[in-house]
Amino acid sequence: MVTPLISTAIVGHEFGPYDVTIPADRANAYAAAVGGEESPEYGDSLAPIMVVAAALTKLIDDLGLFSGGLQTVHAGQEVSWARQIKTGEQVEATGRLAANSVRRGNHFATVAVTYRDSSSTEVGTSSTTIIVSGEAS
Amino acid sequence: MSPERTQRTIGDSLRGFERKITQDRVDAYAEASGDHNPIHLDESYASTTQFGTRIAHGMLSLALVTEMLANEFSGTWHSGGRLKVRFSAPVFPGETVVTYGEITSIDESEGGLTVTCTIGCKKPDGTDAVAGRATVPLE
Repeated sequence: MVTPLISTAIVGHEFGPYDVTIPADRANAYAAAVGGEESPEYGDSLAPIMVVAAALTKLIDDLGLFSGGLQTVHAGQEVSWARQIKTGEQVEATGRLAANSVRRGNHFATVAVTYRDSSSTEVGTSSTTIIVSGEAS
Repeated sequence: MSPERTQRTIGDSLRGFERKITQDRVDAYAEASGDHNPIHLDESYASTTQFGTRIAHGMLSLALVTEMLANEFSGTWHSGGRLKVRFSAPVFPGETVVTYGEITSIDESEGGLTVTCTIGCKKPDGTDAVAGRATVPLE
């Protein structure tokens, strides 16, 4: 059994940097998943939430939450965004474990993420809270 | 500032919409996000979880809420908007959800006017799948 990082990581643990550049094929998949008649016209820009989702997937992987036996519930999400990002534009995400506690056998973890463009200018932030139950197998 | 913007008042509803969350959408979202967790994709695995069947990604429901915000505040949501939500209940493939929002305050600061809204996404039984608050600058 591999011990998932969420069991051992302490507050302040840093994640990434992750390349969360979104290529056109993933932007198209997003449009197929989310889009409809009421969707806004993004043109060559991305919905910021898509960049956040890409970073979240990498965080979950690094936390070891794809391990068999663990069940993860996405409990809360915060997002703020400073400017639009274009499809294919380089964006890098870095995360920091902001909270990690165990209550009644469940892990409650919050990871804060900062997104920067190729000039290292901050373009957005997010904070994700997850609840993890079960034992890694 | 456009007249449309200045006419916003507390209590105004945002233009929500319905969207059926099909398994095809969930599959596409897995491709888009890279999140291939079997709880979203593998029915035999999902049947062993607390939900008993596959569930949509919470971020998919949130993405619908942000589409509503992008429509409502087309010039500013992506440039200065912020939100904070809780995921209250899972959405199951086949369910139709409805996004909603209401302006609860309009505040003036150095940067101009900012609106605060309750936002969310309801399941067919009226319970919230996603619920929270957004703050968006006005043009």
